[in-house]
Amino acid sequence: MIRPLLSLGLLACAAMVLALGLGSVTVPLPDLWQVVQGEGSALNRTLLMDLRLPRTLAAFATGGLLAVAGALMQVLLRNPLADPYVLGLSGGAAVGALLAMLAGMGTLLISGSAFAGALLATLLVFGLAHGTGSWTPSRLLLTGVVVAAGWGAVITLMLAITPSYKLPGMLYWLMGDVSYARTPWPAMIVLVFSIVLIMPLARNLNVLARGPMQAAALGVAVRPLEWTIYLLASLLTATAVTTAGSIGFVGLIVPHMLRLVLGNDQRIILPASALAGGTLLVLADTLARTAIAPEQLPVGVITALLGVPTFLYLLHRSR
Amino acid sequence: MRVHRRNFGIALGFLILIVVQPLFAAGIPRCAVDDARQELCMSAPAQRIVTLSPGATELTFAAGAGDKVVAAVNYSDYPPEALKLPLVGSHTRVDMEALLALKPDLVVTWVTGNPPAQIELLEELGIPMFAIEPRTFEGVSSVIERLATLAGTEQAGLAEAERFRSGIAALSEQYRNAEPISVFYQVWQQPLMTINNDHLIGKVLQLCGGVNVFGDMPRLVPRISAEVVLQADPHAILTGSAEGVADDQLDGWKRYSGLTAVKKSNLFFVPASPISRPTPRLLEATRIICDYLDSARER
Repeated sequence: MIRPLLSLGLLACAAMVLALGLGSVTVPLPDLWQVVQGEGSALNRTLLMDLRLPRTLAAFATGGLLAVAGALMQVLLRNPLADPYVLGLSGGAAVGALLAMLAGMGTLLISGSAFAGALLATLLVFGLAHGTGSWTPSRLLLTGVVVAAGWGAVITLMLAITPSYKLPGMLYWLMGDVSYARTPWPAMIVLVFSIVLIMPLARNLNVLARGPMQAAALGVAVRPLEWTIYLLASLLTATAVTTAGSIGFVGLIVPHMLRLVLGNDQRIILPASALAGGTLLVLADTLARTAIAPEQLPVGVITALLGVPTFLYLLHRSR
Repeated sequence: MRVHRRNFGIALGFLILIVVQPLFAAGIPRCAVDDARQELCMSAPAQRIVTLSPGATELTFAAGAGDKVVAAVNYSDYPPEALKLPLVGSHTRVDMEALLALKPDLVVTWVTGNPPAQIELLEELGIPMFAIEPRTFEGVSSVIERLATLAGTEQAGLAEAERFRSGIAALSEQYRNAEPISVFYQVWQQPLMTINNDHLIGKVLQLCGGVNVFGDMPRLVPRISAEVVLQADPHAILTGSAEGVADDQLDGWKRYSGLTAVKKSNLFFVPASPISRPTPRLLEATRIICDYLDSARER
């Protein structure tokens, strides 16, 4: 059980080394080593320590958060199409961020506003689905999807009335871009804590994935567990979206890829999602920075271009 | 953060001024306030300039500092020498590594056009920056003068600023009593967009005696319907096109044969980048628009 996690961990480390070594400016290996030892030229130190390292860590944390959130949502909703954004969380965050951009606020306030929007979206769906009547995952899913459509309409309205010079910034935020990340630490801390928190629950999640009746029969408190998953996944997603905008695809595909290879045991899938999601986003961001440098691509494009063929290959092989 | 540096710069400046001014005239700091109202002081003329918008590139060249520009961003296509410059990405997404590797001593930014997160990072790294965005004719001249001050190219810069200023003043004088003529300026065809009187293009129209039919709209670049254009029935319709060559952008109006502008074939094409960039080329674009409106008055 520990072997796949070890190899994924090694892969993650390799991806990070690659990300630190590659950029639109070529830093030779000996110079890289000098910077690691705390020496080297001021320029190389700035490139590595102020630009590449924070960005790589932010990419890893964001990818990990999204993949874990996606894995949790898929268990919660028992729907393979579920992803971190399916319940409208990214929509709420986007409305928050776009409002802040429209008001001309600084980057810190944009992040804060995005986080507030994500929390509002979470509580809105929670409150609506929690209301009178019987509660089921499909009720939660429907509520979330409808609320998400509402957010989508608000976003479109805002884009339509925004002065044109502000549009590029907004569109790039909606596409998702790790260059927005100013500090990787909040995302890193949330990722590590949530993995520590969720691991003791992983066995119960395995039971829940087989259906709520069976889980209840086996003594799992289904309702509290489901709400815990929902709130935790929301926190993960909110943190990810606040760090780097709404990067798509990672949260949907990475857990599925891992299930195809490792089987559907949440005790492995959850930590493996964190590692694989992080690795995928680090690699994608490195490519986004360097593929047609000095032009910089949005990372979401690369995640999909890398992820789609990999996923199709795994799906084909598993038959 | 920049206030800090400014205070230091001013203090240092006074110190040098008092103590060693007779000895080292070159040590006097060069200070200028940018369009975001931040003052930048440099101890010596900028030698390695990076420009983060096509307009900034054009204005820096106009200030006589073209040979000090070491890199620009995509679409910096004027003057032709600018095409040979290395690029550091585009104005919406700057390649920070490439930018820092060039070790610029002055980065000319665009107030509303560059991503705030990247600008903040440059500020944290202590890169001297000068944000520009002229919104008036005088703003164009003034930016050229301020850039020339920072680059130590006052002679060329002040002359160019004055050429633009007096050119605009002369046109303004010439058209002061021109017969008013109603004009619709089409910024974009699909969706249909125009400009109000606060926009620099709106000011060009006013200078030439044009009456912008949407001049009083509250937004700088309003999105409008074709219906209100038909209702306003302008006497001339203008739009920007590559090199000012007629293309299909105004063809949509030709089916409304009742429209005065169509009846009198007053559909005009203005060279797009001179009219839309606040640079000295705006003077030539203004002349073209004034000429067009003159011929429209005659028809």
